[in-house]
Amino acid sequence: MKVRLTRFALLLALTACTEHATAPGVCPDFCPGGQIGVVDTIFTDMIERDTAFSGYVEATGGEVMVVADVPGAVDSRAIFRMNAMPTSIVIHDSTTSPIIVDSARLQIEILHRDTNATNLWIKLYRLPLDIDTTTTFAQVIPAFTDSIVDSVSLNTLLSAPLINDTATVRIWTVPIRTDSAGHILRVIGPDSTLFLDTYLDTAQARFVAADSGRVAFGVRVSPDSANTIALGTSDIGRGARLTWFYNYLDSTATVKYDSLSRGPIFDSFVFNPPTPPIDSNLAIGGVPAARSLLRVKIPRLLRDSADVVRATLIMVPVGPVPGAPADSFTILARPVIADLGAKSPLSTNSPFFGTKVIHLNVADTLRMELTDLVRSWALDSTLASALMLGQAPEGASYAQIRFYSTRSPAFQPTLHITFVRRYAFGVP
Amino acid sequence: MRRVFLLLMIAALVLAAPALAQDSQFGIRGLGTPGRGESVRARATGGAFAPFDAFSPLLDASVADVRRVTAGVTTGTSWRTVDFGTESGSLRTSRFPAFVLAGPISSRLAVAAGFSTYLDKSFGIATRDTIDIRGTPEPVSDEVTSDGAVSDLRVGVAARLHPRFAVGFALHGLTGSTRVTAVRRFDDSTTYRTSTARDEIAYHGVGGSASALLDLGTDLRLAAWVRSDTHLRADIRGRTVSDDDLPFAYGGAVRWRPGTQAAVAAAVAWRSWSGAGLNAHDTFNWSIGTELGSPTSPVRFGVRGGQLAFGPGAKAPTEFGLSAGIGKQFSGGRGRLDFGIERLERKGTGLTERVWSFLLGLTVRP
Repeated sequence: MKVRLTRFALLLALTACTEHATAPGVCPDFCPGGQIGVVDTIFTDMIERDTAFSGYVEATGGEVMVVADVPGAVDSRAIFRMNAMPTSIVIHDSTTSPIIVDSARLQIEILHRDTNATNLWIKLYRLPLDIDTTTTFAQVIPAFTDSIVDSVSLNTLLSAPLINDTATVRIWTVPIRTDSAGHILRVIGPDSTLFLDTYLDTAQARFVAADSGRVAFGVRVSPDSANTIALGTSDIGRGARLTWFYNYLDSTATVKYDSLSRGPIFDSFVFNPPTPPIDSNLAIGGVPAARSLLRVKIPRLLRDSADVVRATLIMVPVGPVPGAPADSFTILARPVIADLGAKSPLSTNSPFFGTKVIHLNVADTLRMELTDLVRSWALDSTLASALMLGQAPEGASYAQIRFYSTRSPAFQPTLHITFVRRYAFGVP
Repeated sequence: MRRVFLLLMIAALVLAAPALAQDSQFGIRGLGTPGRGESVRARATGGAFAPFDAFSPLLDASVADVRRVTAGVTTGTSWRTVDFGTESGSLRTSRFPAFVLAGPISSRLAVAAGFSTYLDKSFGIATRDTIDIRGTPEPVSDEVTSDGAVSDLRVGVAARLHPRFAVGFALHGLTGSTRVTAVRRFDDSTTYRTSTARDEIAYHGVGGSASALLDLGTDLRLAAWVRSDTHLRADIRGRTVSDDDLPFAYGGAVRWRPGTQAAVAAAVAWRSWSGAGLNAHDTFNWSIGTELGSPTSPVRFGVRGGQLAFGPGAKAPTEFGLSAGIGKQFSGGRGRLDFGIERLERKGTGLTERVWSFLLGLTVRP
């Protein structure tokens, strides 16, 4: 009997080695004397220096070409020049045959638009071939005045019946909408991108062999506060496509028909009024893109005696950003790896990024959550405690926002920080 | 078979050893929960045999009877339920509360060294609350945990001055540490990050004790002891965060052995814990126990009662317990394995605790 009891007791000992030591706390009688205290403070002096820099990304490097015409606010137009075409076809050995262009089709991708627009006309203009990165809004005004090539009502197209017969879908891959002028509209992809195809005759798309078939176009919209669109660019592989349809005589003098597509060699947008030069305030966005560098001084309190649980950057805008009401842009805050001023290398550690969407025509105070970033600065004193604010993506908006800097003490950037005081361990 | 038995025993001790645990929620708001300083043999008798047991680190004079180098170790596991009236919980903890190594250095002198748990300081509590931040109510969950203990490192000497009279003295070094953590989690974890604070608290203190055993005839033995500890200093990274008075304690016991297979003992103890800060109380504890049967495989029973040192309110919480156990000698008396089981009920203002403890002890004479 005792031997059995002994074995049972040993077995019990072997199986009883796990712990569960946490019980509900009934405070204050059965809780430790310390308290987890939360403090919420706006630190007005943590951002000790700031600087705005301009010239990062031009419109030609942007992901979209913004086209908008908001009377009294902004007039923005897309400009692009298509790549050269061969003017002849090799038909046998070194024998060539000149091509004869009979028509062309221009396809543009509309990535964003204001769905509230009710009278959105997209107008296509022929532009001079010498447009480049230095071209200004004023320089293209004449071409946009007298060289209209085509115009299409997007609302009319969108309200047209969907053509989804098998023959159509086989050609276009998706159902299409069309109007009496032959414009084709397709809605493709999860982001509902609009593909607009316009057929152009030889008067609209002039194939000049001396120019190697290069042509340039401009796009604007009819003036209305809701008329704003963004066209895809070659920088993201979504630029305009021009397909030339031509014929030529082959080696047996038989007429052959063929086509060849060309993408843009240059695409950009110009707008009026232009982005004003940098002043004493902090500028973010616009074209060329501006960034603002904020240098943060972490107080000893946060390094030694507190644990940051929430940190919010507060910045007061100088005024609303004028533009189309539907337009917005994102401000992205990224920590710098080293504070080298305008050329500070930026961190790619996205968990530490902060973002905030800015809506145009509204002058709300910016409140951006930067909790993980400020926590990392508080925990690691070797990190460069500075962040760069920029637009995301850059070079893709005419809108530039300006905030008061530390040179305006009443409205300077601040950090609103919630932290937990160090727990008073060891006190019963 | 015996080898297998030994292997199992060693495995049990090793596996049960790492953890230390808070024995009572009553000690959270005080310095901790005082350890018992009792071997499994003494614990199974309600603590009544502790003053007469050389491997219970309570009374140094009892070491005088150790005539060969011997080591004793105690381990145990507790299952505890706490009932606050509105809240309740179940806890399970393991601990390694005592080790004693003793042996003679001459025909009259013996020395002992070892450690025991002076204050258990392991606990974990979880609370929920709603706080106002930036003008918005935010539900939060807090968890405060402490893992560690203050150990009593003892070096003692005992002398049998007369066949019927022995005395003992010991110096006690109180040392230990706790790893402490305070965590606050916000229900809105998207906006607020979890706050975690960790630290390690080191404890230091010293004490001394004296004791005597007097035999009145062959059947009756009396014991008396006194102990004084100074202060318990708590340091975090070299900075003292608290310094609390420790108690002066004294006690007595009597054991009657009417035959070779029966012994009965009773013990009392007073401790002046009331100077040890918030929620501290002086305590009086008593115990009665018996050991029956052959010395090679006895059966033990005991009952204990008294007060706890820490608890809210003006009145000290009370404790009552029943215990039982068995012992088994092996290897021709060179080793002994003791098992015990104990049921405790503690009551105080706002809390009732009920504890089942399973105890395992090993004594080896190489």
